[in-house]
Amino acid sequence: MPILEARGLTKIFPGVVALDSVDITVELGEVHCIIGENGAGKSTLIKCLTGVYTPETGDVVIAGETVGPHSRSLFDRIAYAPQEIDLFLNLSVAENLFLPFESTGITGLISQGRLESAARPILERFRIGVNPGELVRDIPVSARQFLQIARATLKEGYQVLILDEPTTSLTARDAVTLFDIVREIRAEGKSVIFISHKLEEIFEIGDVVSVFRNGRNQARAAVDDASIPWVISQMTGGTVDQESTFRSEELGDDVLLHVDSLTGRDFTDVTLTLRKGEILGLYGLVGAGRSELMQAVFGYLPVYSGTVDLLGSPLPRGNTYESIRRGLIYLSEERRQMGILSMLSVRSNLSILSLDRLRSAFGLSRKKEDALAREIVARYDVKTPHLDQPIQFLSGGNQQKVIIGRSMAADPKVIIFDEPTKGIDVATKVELYRMMKRLAEDRGVGIVLISSEIEEIRRCANRVVVLYEGRVAGEFGPETDQDEIMRAVIDASPSEAKEMK
Amino acid sequence: MIRAFRRSNMTAIGMILVAMIAFASLASPYFLDYYNIQAVIRDLAFIGMIAMAQAMLLIIGELDLSVGAVASLCGILAGMMMVGQGLNPYLVLVIALGLGALAGTINGLIVSRLRLNSMVVTIGMMGVYGGIGLVLTRGKAITGIPEEIRFLGKGSIGPIPAPFFFTVAILMLVLFITRKTRTGRYMYAIGNSRDAARILGIKVDAIRVFVFALAGFVSALAGILYVARLGSSQTAIGEAWAINSIASAVIGGVALTGGIGNPAGALVGAGIIAIIQNAIVLFGVNVYWQSAVSGFVVVTAIALSSLSTMWDERKLRRGKVAAVARDQAVPKEPPAADRLMEEERA
Repeated sequence: MPILEARGLTKIFPGVVALDSVDITVELGEVHCIIGENGAGKSTLIKCLTGVYTPETGDVVIAGETVGPHSRSLFDRIAYAPQEIDLFLNLSVAENLFLPFESTGITGLISQGRLESAARPILERFRIGVNPGELVRDIPVSARQFLQIARATLKEGYQVLILDEPTTSLTARDAVTLFDIVREIRAEGKSVIFISHKLEEIFEIGDVVSVFRNGRNQARAAVDDASIPWVISQMTGGTVDQESTFRSEELGDDVLLHVDSLTGRDFTDVTLTLRKGEILGLYGLVGAGRSELMQAVFGYLPVYSGTVDLLGSPLPRGNTYESIRRGLIYLSEERRQMGILSMLSVRSNLSILSLDRLRSAFGLSRKKEDALAREIVARYDVKTPHLDQPIQFLSGGNQQKVIIGRSMAADPKVIIFDEPTKGIDVATKVELYRMMKRLAEDRGVGIVLISSEIEEIRRCANRVVVLYEGRVAGEFGPETDQDEIMRAVIDASPSEAKEMK
Repeated sequence: MIRAFRRSNMTAIGMILVAMIAFASLASPYFLDYYNIQAVIRDLAFIGMIAMAQAMLLIIGELDLSVGAVASLCGILAGMMMVGQGLNPYLVLVIALGLGALAGTINGLIVSRLRLNSMVVTIGMMGVYGGIGLVLTRGKAITGIPEEIRFLGKGSIGPIPAPFFFTVAILMLVLFITRKTRTGRYMYAIGNSRDAARILGIKVDAIRVFVFALAGFVSALAGILYVARLGSSQTAIGEAWAINSIASAVIGGVALTGGIGNPAGALVGAGIIAIIQNAIVLFGVNVYWQSAVSGFVVVTAIALSSLSTMWDERKLRRGKVAAVARDQAVPKEPPAADRLMEEERA
């Protein structure tokens, strides 16, 4: 009897069907991998399986019993380690492990010493080399990831452990350790649901794989029977171009952006150069300081020392208005908090960067605004029923098009794209890659592409700069092997920074 | 922008206002009396202009509880200048408005430069400005306000009380700023997300200070007009204005969390509050019940607005679920999109 089942699960949000009649079966003692592109519905499925969301229709069946409003305690058998680090930064490692105390079996008065001695064997088991008394904000990101997983396994009486993209902040070496731990958990007779968008991991650790695409459970197979091309075709529907590259072929000599020995809170002594028509990839793990670096270059975060030159003249620090005026635009990874103006309409979001040009005799001209909005919607193929649609109802991909479209209307010379394809379906991703290539080639725009997906970097970047813990760990040309780049991340230390052109 | 206005439920509160007028006129024979309506409009003028200024602050996600104190302090300073120094009343008016804007600017600078919560800061500044007023007057009223200026507060042009013309002027100013200027757009952006606004190159702090300064200016205007109406400057002026202005704005559909709402709605909200206050007196409600009654009506009005939003969401959800159950292909994008794109490109 399967330990966990979903039958006909459907979950709908305004404007989007996140899950479309999904069935899935997980047996005891099985490592079940769920793979799919960003936006395929993996996280939504998990939230239904753990009871966070209630599906519109369909059932979750745990140990043979259908979960209903009165049997929600069945969810106690499901343990979950989320994708984002969800720990309390200002509490200690031990406290984070055992909170909430009711479900980890800690009773009576709480003593720090008791918590710490209880924590030690667990930290050892998970190979987390930190002191249980240390504050989480002082331990490295990889340790936090393992800590989050360890915390999940402490839930009393769990039978299924769900790991949501656990290797996001791990180096290849750490990932190997993680796989060993997963095998140990399986040997205890528990099940593990392993969510990933990385193919290698499926074949490394999985027994069964379910492929998700566009909110549906597309296909299921035993890992032994599956192959990489088969998985890819299930993930993408076979219609999407997997092989083309999108690097710029019109590189100029003019230096558009020069960053010299820049130091800030999350990055140290970074030097890089961007030329006309070039796409510069900025690669590294989550937490490496790439966003913080470019945000400081843009003027959104403070700079401690070093200089930034834009188009040959020094760029004033900490002034986003000046940066944009001179032609430097930064597009944040956090679309919802730092990109769109969520309560406003598509039209307002489109025009907000160009208001200077939309004036007439009596103030802002509605006519000019409409014309601009329509032009951007047409050129970037933004799917919206009308311009007054609140932007929060558009899909992630279309929101991203709005953000990019309005930025291009402001005629920038350098654009910094921070994880532009995060949470975006495969077809739109390729559209975005094509757009970036066109921008660089036709308009000579310099592009900095921050990405954690090595594939994306490989396909789009003319050059790659690798960042590790805030420092430049290496710089590579377009034909460099992927392994070289990955190794730079693992072996990085300031004295070993290599330069290869 | 229009959608941002509409979603603030202007129709809902407009209907409530009409309903209240109908109810009041049926319930009391004195409501529709010429002088009573005039009195209501005169009260509305003061609450209304401050409510609109408060609405502007709410839109950027801030709050100013010192509006009443700024009003009374500027009224006191104006009184001192006119009576004590014998300065020309119109000159005094201009100076006092400037002082109000200065007070607002100080509030704005403290909130933005020191990165503090505006509610907490303005509660403190309320004490500061109120305290200065007490020191200056030593608790006594300043009487002898010159006749020439008193018309602005107590006079009428035709059936309409003079202060209301100022309120309408403020309404036009506020509508112009929010609909027609870049600053107005940036205000909504800031209210939606300060971080997103900064990434868009918007001068967030400058605009915040500007809106606080505007609130100070309007508070001073209301304070001086009230002094003109009473004929004396007192510290008691404006005591309930802060809370009433927030309530008016919220009733008028301006979200407490910011980023959405029409400041003109605040004027409608102020109208509702002015009518409530008038009705309470007309019905002979026991004076001790007045706070409870007006509080109750305010909560009801806000609750109706929120319930209407929740109802809309529920209808949307039911519709989608029914469609899925009928096995229709629920489009990921709304169906009109493709047709729209065809038209655009044609």
